[in-house]
Amino acid sequence: MKPTGTRALNGEAAGSGQSREGAEPTARHKPAISVLVPVSERPSALEWIYAEYSAPLRQESLTFEFIFIVEPKFQELTLPLEELRKEGEPIQVLQTSHPIGDTGLIRAGAERANHSILLTLPPYPRIEPDRLPALLAPVLEGKPMAVARRWPRRDSWLNRLQNRVFHLLLTSVGSGGQIKDVACGVRAIHREVFDVLPFYGDFHRFLPLLALRAGFEVVEVEAAQHPGDRQPRIYGPGVYLRRVLDVLGLYFLMRFTDKPLRFFGLVGSGGILLGGAILVVLAVQRIGGQAIADRPLLLLGTLLVILGVQAIALGLVGEVIVHVNAPARERSRDRSTAQEPERVGYPPLDPDSDWKP
Amino acid sequence: MIWPNLLSVVVPMYNEVGNVRPVVEAVRLALEPEGPWELIVVDDGSTDGTREELERAAGDDDRIRAIILPRNRGQTAALRTGLREARGDAVVTMDGDLQNDPADIPRLVRTLYEGFDLVTGFREERKDPMITRRIPSVVANRIIRWITGVSIRDNGCSLKAYRRELVDRLYLYADFHRFIPALAVSTAGARVTEVPVRHHARRSGRSKYGLSRTWKVVSDLLVLTMIRSFRERPLVPYVSAALLTFALAAAFGVRSALTAIEMGQLSMVFPTVTALLTGLAAYLVMLGLLAEAAVFHARERMPATSYLLRPAGAPEGPGERSQ
Repeated sequence: MKPTGTRALNGEAAGSGQSREGAEPTARHKPAISVLVPVSERPSALEWIYAEYSAPLRQESLTFEFIFIVEPKFQELTLPLEELRKEGEPIQVLQTSHPIGDTGLIRAGAERANHSILLTLPPYPRIEPDRLPALLAPVLEGKPMAVARRWPRRDSWLNRLQNRVFHLLLTSVGSGGQIKDVACGVRAIHREVFDVLPFYGDFHRFLPLLALRAGFEVVEVEAAQHPGDRQPRIYGPGVYLRRVLDVLGLYFLMRFTDKPLRFFGLVGSGGILLGGAILVVLAVQRIGGQAIADRPLLLLGTLLVILGVQAIALGLVGEVIVHVNAPARERSRDRSTAQEPERVGYPPLDPDSDWKP
Repeated sequence: MIWPNLLSVVVPMYNEVGNVRPVVEAVRLALEPEGPWELIVVDDGSTDGTREELERAAGDDDRIRAIILPRNRGQTAALRTGLREARGDAVVTMDGDLQNDPADIPRLVRTLYEGFDLVTGFREERKDPMITRRIPSVVANRIIRWITGVSIRDNGCSLKAYRRELVDRLYLYADFHRFIPALAVSTAGARVTEVPVRHHARRSGRSKYGLSRTWKVVSDLLVLTMIRSFRERPLVPYVSAALLTFALAAAFGVRSALTAIEMGQLSMVFPTVTALLTGLAAYLVMLGLLAEAAVFHARERMPATSYLLRPAGAPEGPGERSQ
């Protein structure tokens, strides 16, 4: 990056000890990392995960902590972690009182995280641990987010097929093209960025896409798949149905949250046009002398028009909500220093000026 | 000579590498004799080296600044970013392709201080393709004028001058850069006028518009009409629509009752239509209440007044209005 007084992030990397003329962040100010491990499905031995993935961080002499957020059914897995913690390892173990899903687990972990960079890891091996530094590098340099792409891939054909279908579905609804492995789950992200993303429901799976939509740059880093990630995974039909609904929900939210009428209006005008056409035909027949009062077609036409009007009226309520919240949304955007774009050519700060970039 | 303490010129650019230098030169040429100015270019995630050109330009002149958005966010977002960065008492926005002529800026600013909050350019002789750009534009502007009630002949012209007070009260989102005058009038009570400006054919780069926006414009227009009425009472349009629907339902009901008395038997279809329409009327009232609730909650968080108040009487120059 050219040092022309640019600034990407207000995190520790760019903020402390960096002059306006853009000195490189120094090694001693390298930001620290909170590793979040949500434990909700098919976990490996957690102490093994800790040993495997903390080693490369230690080697790079990064400051880090591991936070395991564990659902109740996996409680006994935390015992070895407690041992390690007592020995002074930087580990936090959080237990939830009931199952809350990966998104909730990650959010709970982020609330307790002490450091400015969050790294999420599944509770089973996904990528080779020695690729972690490569994944973290862009984020340490100030990029908002980096995600791992399992490549080269050593997966079973069943997993590959599932992954392929998932991405096909994503691309067919117009997102996911830029990210080749959305489902990977090994992601590094700046705290401020994480905090402004709409992270709820089941959307942890789409975190990189949410970041892209919010205007952040997302770097994809290739990392060899871990052999332990190979075994075929088959889920119940409910899981697949939920995935499809997730993608459809994401499609709607990404395309239409700012302009609900574009969607509801399309549905509504379709209904009105079709129903209106039916009613016109009936009206012509009525004028021609036919009785229409007991024609079911009259009902269909009326129903279609009514549904159309309802859809548009609903879409307009959506627009009202979006509109009246515009100032609040803009203020929250202003607050998030992470989203600040780069600035070029700003004059040196005048201490008397009340203007702040 | 009326000139703001500082005039900010905001120019969004997307892949306009060939236009950076000409824009900078033209702005400098036009504003140098007039008074203090700054130029803020918002690079909307360009991939063609626009950024490097901007760095060069910003390095040459302290008054030129650039904001680089990491990804393409669209024109409204770029404009919003630029407006928020502007520090001047007056702000001028224009396109990054030199179809607007910066030489018109001084005239816009002077008109602004004749007593307006927003002055928009009006392209008298457009230099755009007839079928895909000019005819749709004339039709669209007619419709916009009719629907919004704001008599601006050219909503599509990016060359506009704003007073600071308006910039602070204008919240742009979605694709509303096309309807800034209407938005400014209905949400901030701005005084708007237009002045004829020159229009040039593109010198460099490619147009990023086409006919595909029609549906978006239609949908946004509907929203604008809504905004005009719902700012204060969203319940009113909804209840009006509900009353209309209910009248229709009543007509069907009376008709089917009359038929029933006449024939001695009740047909199924008309009563059902009556029921459906009555249901729709009730549904619309409920939706109106929901919208009212949304506005009510947001009001608490909105600025105390969204209207531009001004002392009665003579038009004011720069700095005469107390904040």
